[in-house]
Amino acid sequence: MRRLAIVALLAAAASAQPTVAPTGEPVGITRGENHSGYNVRQSFELGARFRSVGGDQGTYRATVNYGNGLRLLSSSLSVQSVEGHGSAFDQIQLNTQGLGNDPYQNASLRVEKNRLYRYDLSWRSNAYYNPGLRSDHGQHFADTVRNYQDHDLTLFPQSSLKFFLGYSQNKQTGPAITSAQLFDGRADQFALFANVRRQQREYRAGFEAGYAGWRLNVMHGWVDFKEDNSIRLPAPSAGYNVNDNSTLTSFQRTEPYHGTSPYWRVVLMQESRWWAVNGRFTYVKGQRAFIQDGTGFGTDRFGNNVTQQVFTAGNAQRPAATGSFNFSVFPSTKLTITNQTALSHIRMSGSSVFTQLTNGSPIRPFVPFEFLGIRTIANSTDADYRPLTWLGVRLGYQYSTRRVRSIEGFNAVGVQPMSEQENGLNTGILGVRLRPTKSLTMNFDGEIGRADQPFYPVSGKNFQAFRGRAEYRRGDFRFAGYVRTDYNVNSGSLYSFASRNRQYGADGTWTISRTFFIDASYAKLHLDTLGSLSYFSRVGTATVSVTNDRSYYVSNLHTANLSAHFTVRGRVDVSLGLSHIQDTGDGRATVLGNAGYTSLAAFQSVQTFPLRFTSPQGKLSVRINDKLRWNAGYQNYGYGEQFSSAQGFRAHTGYTSVTWAF
Amino acid sequence: MSGCNAWAPLALLIGLCALPAAAQDYVGSNACRTCHIDLYSTFFRNPHYKSIAAGNQAPEKTGCESCHGPASGHVGAGGGKDTIPRAFSKLSPTQVADTCLGCHAQSISRANIRRSEHTLDDVVCTNCHSIHRSPAPKNLLKTEQQRDLCYGCHTTVRAQFSMPFKHRVNEGSVQCTDCHNPHGSFAATWNMGARPRMVEQGVGNEQPCMKCHIDKRGPFVFEHAAVRVEGCETCHSAHGSTNPRLLKRPVVYTVCLECHTGSGNFGRQANGIPRNSTFHNMADPRFQNCTSCHVRIHGSNADSFFFR
Repeated sequence: MRRLAIVALLAAAASAQPTVAPTGEPVGITRGENHSGYNVRQSFELGARFRSVGGDQGTYRATVNYGNGLRLLSSSLSVQSVEGHGSAFDQIQLNTQGLGNDPYQNASLRVEKNRLYRYDLSWRSNAYYNPGLRSDHGQHFADTVRNYQDHDLTLFPQSSLKFFLGYSQNKQTGPAITSAQLFDGRADQFALFANVRRQQREYRAGFEAGYAGWRLNVMHGWVDFKEDNSIRLPAPSAGYNVNDNSTLTSFQRTEPYHGTSPYWRVVLMQESRWWAVNGRFTYVKGQRAFIQDGTGFGTDRFGNNVTQQVFTAGNAQRPAATGSFNFSVFPSTKLTITNQTALSHIRMSGSSVFTQLTNGSPIRPFVPFEFLGIRTIANSTDADYRPLTWLGVRLGYQYSTRRVRSIEGFNAVGVQPMSEQENGLNTGILGVRLRPTKSLTMNFDGEIGRADQPFYPVSGKNFQAFRGRAEYRRGDFRFAGYVRTDYNVNSGSLYSFASRNRQYGADGTWTISRTFFIDASYAKLHLDTLGSLSYFSRVGTATVSVTNDRSYYVSNLHTANLSAHFTVRGRVDVSLGLSHIQDTGDGRATVLGNAGYTSLAAFQSVQTFPLRFTSPQGKLSVRINDKLRWNAGYQNYGYGEQFSSAQGFRAHTGYTSVTWAF
Repeated sequence: MSGCNAWAPLALLIGLCALPAAAQDYVGSNACRTCHIDLYSTFFRNPHYKSIAAGNQAPEKTGCESCHGPASGHVGAGGGKDTIPRAFSKLSPTQVADTCLGCHAQSISRANIRRSEHTLDDVVCTNCHSIHRSPAPKNLLKTEQQRDLCYGCHTTVRAQFSMPFKHRVNEGSVQCTDCHNPHGSFAATWNMGARPRMVEQGVGNEQPCMKCHIDKRGPFVFEHAAVRVEGCETCHSAHGSTNPRLLKRPVVYTVCLECHTGSGNFGRQANGIPRNSTFHNMADPRFQNCTSCHVRIHGSNADSFFFR
């Protein structure tokens, strides 16, 4: 009974921290009601949310987004065959969250008949709001909803031969604001209204067969994608930049983009006492067809009337084949050696036509499809040796090679020369596991890597990583500490990029009694990167090339979470929580700083981004009887940036609800 | 001959130990119910109850004894943890994993569990799953919400999801397992190096980001090679960020300019990532928001500079 109470306490306290609702506390230990050989349990939490937001509404919607109104905050239905021999099913499990009008709603359903079938449904609806934040110069607003659903049916789930059928859908719809630059590469930008309509459907079928310890899993799927966005100018516009003469009086663009990606996935595996082998092989034949037709009327940056039409169409292919083969041997119970080989081959090619008519005259009549092919081969060998029950050692080595083939070139007719390059990467890993007592475990890992030709200045070249973790667990008390560092030094012929990432964390949980539980964590995430900047700047009428500036970005992020949960007389549950995030940046108090790295004020102002985001919360839940609970909660959100108050907000949110269960 | 006799008792002992448990050592789950009524009364809701409901499984694969071992000794002794052949609280992490994987190894999602980071770190089945007292509706997790289970160890990841802009894990609509496989994944074929280690491939063989962000998948006439060659994490912090597009920097142009320096042997042609052209006056705010003009930054079918 004590353990059950503690489990309930843990569940309530842990779930209390991120968002205040739905309520985590169970009404009681529901035994359900029996009908026709089934045990039925059900619970509903019906309530109302409220909010009051001061400051920037857009940032609130982008970070929190809970609104007012009645919700089915959560529900659960469980129907279980008591004997495991139901007629049509043995189990139904339905769970929902946020139904009604929450921005994040989801439902999952499982229906199962032992040995005959299992059906799983997952449905999610996420309303993501992207306000054109000031740091993005107020552009590219989006207020779209993504709906996901996954259906999976498994026939004969417990047999050695089983079959799979599945269907998934991913849909994104809603209004958005995008932008376009017209009528040439130096001209002004204009805000455009976009009606976003994207949809992906996946159908899949497969089987799994087992024989003599081997297991073969084959899946064939068809992924159909279509995007039918329409973009238009809502009203005549003078553009973003007041110093530019460009105007746009009319603009519309349609750009259907449809395609299919049929795929095969084959997995073969076997595990015995002395060895294990598995392989995963996939092939995806990606094809897309596209048309883009856009027309704009207005004046160019010289004040001349312009009519411009752009038409492009074509077909794209992206066949991709991957394979991963793993072989493990267990020479003794203390030693495991694993070798892994992974292969990936992908190439993007196709055909396209491009026509641009400016005042009836064709410009840039032909643009070839740019070819990009990537082939990666990686091989790694790991050995895990545990000579003693309290000691384990791990050694690993990996070699990767990647070949990138590319054909680039715009405004060019005919076959372009192909460039080819090879990258190699060697990494080594050393790890130690210690378990000096049953209550204490410690893990340490180090990794070092050397790449001969990284693809980007920010890619890993000479890198080293270290990870350490210690955990002490005794009874209902747990404390853990964590450290992780990632250092990378990359360099080119003239410029260099270096990053240092250090993460420290500690967390503890303590169930002090059957009625009191606390959970606390603190983490510091430090990042500083030093890279080169190469850009042009205007001094008077002269254009200056700047090549000796540096981008020195510093972030010192401190996060703390604290939650406590206690129960009064077995009837009243009280939860208190605090989440606090603060980036102290590089310690400066003003926008400008780090002048030694760059003289441009615009760069100095974004080399650090101090902010704070605090969210205290409290919740009260009263058990009225064995089937009924009343809940109320309050959560406050405060967001502020040190260098600007434009995007800050403070929100009071809360809810009250009734939970009914039997 | 005398030497042989001297070794006989030891040989007999070894032989007895090597013998599998006899059928009579198994007492059946009904015997367990006599004392453990609190566990057994709700065991019909447990997925492991299938072995009892089937009615035709071998004793060593049925009910309580399929995990805890033959219980005749335990019953004969009148209880006691020391008499349970496999009392999980007394097993080493390796023994716990071996016991569970005796049945659960033959699954694609667990094909690499023995070499996964979790197993190598002694994080095994019972660290995350509670067989008898799970508050979760599915998968017998130790916590009701999956995120709370993962946050329990991954403190710094919890910190990242506390950022103002993040995937909606705390709100319950995105799960850690949408992108990660806690049981160990196949090697990430889209990347070089040993990392990321526990990321599950999506849509056949791609990064899991493409499962949801379907419009970024392409193929495009003009690919932004950063997406295809190095992956989304070149520019994005998937867990959380101070940027609403989850960029690695608070504003977009610093992300772009840290690569587009025109120097070194970087890029598709190994002759440097192209530097912006001379009319980009970076002192002018209009040029400080790259994606205002380079709208199709993930890939375009109409413009090599991603204008449309």
